[in-house]
Amino acid sequence: MQDANLRYPEIGISEVSLTFGGKIGYLDEQFCQVEDLQDEASPNFAEEVVTLFFKDSARLMSNIELALEKYPKDFNRWDAYMQQLKGSCSSIGASRMKCEFMSFRDYCGQGNVEGCMRSFQKVKREHTVLRQKLETYFQLLRQAGPAGAATRPVM
Amino acid sequence: MAAAAPSPAPVPSSSPKVASPKAGDRKVVPVTVAEEVVLEEKHVLAVDDSSVDRAIIAKILRSSKYRVTTVESATRALELLGLGLLPDVNMIITDYWMPGMTGYELLKRVKESSKLKEIPVVIMSSENVPNRISRCLEEGAEDFLLKPVRPSDVSRLCNRIR
Repeated sequence: MQDANLRYPEIGISEVSLTFGGKIGYLDEQFCQVEDLQDEASPNFAEEVVTLFFKDSARLMSNIELALEKYPKDFNRWDAYMQQLKGSCSSIGASRMKCEFMSFRDYCGQGNVEGCMRSFQKVKREHTVLRQKLETYFQLLRQAGPAGAATRPVM
Repeated sequence: MAAAAPSPAPVPSSSPKVASPKAGDRKVVPVTVAEEVVLEEKHVLAVDDSSVDRAIIAKILRSSKYRVTTVESATRALELLGLGLLPDVNMIITDYWMPGMTGYELLKRVKESSKLKEIPVVIMSSENVPNRISRCLEEGAEDFLLKPVRPSDVSRLCNRIR
């Protein structure tokens, strides 16, 4: 079990941001829930799930990108694809990405192509940042593990 | 004055140091005690097109000691069930919205099948749509869970598993 202090090390997974006129961290409570599922049988469960997420989301995002180009103004299709991505984001607690989906949905509802494009670009950016943050996070956890054992005094 | 001489403690003539078992002492352990100790493992079929959600629901279920089979589509689920490859499924838990056949359609097919209709079906969805929920319950869904699913949601279900 990881030390609770390691959960959100200085890389700022839970750092606040003034985007959207409020404060939203990169990850929410759901991420803790996923980490809490870790046990002796699956000691790296959170990292495994996150890996699945990025594999899945990369695929979904390129589908969306294609759809935005290939099916102009097909808001229903665009929204359906985004819903799939939103589902995965929800499951790992990707709160910033989740927020942007709501904007995208609004733009679809308004028939605002420009708005949809901008919103999708935001999702892509948030996705990239989240990936970097989580890579660093798991790296730090891995380093702390063996490092902790190494510094323990030999009796 | 006569000193009272300590009288030797009477040595019982028969006080065995080692109890030798007599016929009537032998305990017979009933076979049923051993059987009761074995946990009956329930088998849950989890259906979801999202690999992330499959991993999470499977982990939650396995942590609650269920045996889990995961499939990525309703079509595949029906295929396996129809072929008799999953003869001992105690519960089906399925995502609502999936490409191809939806969880709702899967629910209907299961309830229409004489072979499968007794299996409780639970629907999961990331969207809280009251119409959707009542339609599923009307169609015979055991329960409707909002995603992301938590371990507490699953423990709520455990009484309903056949």
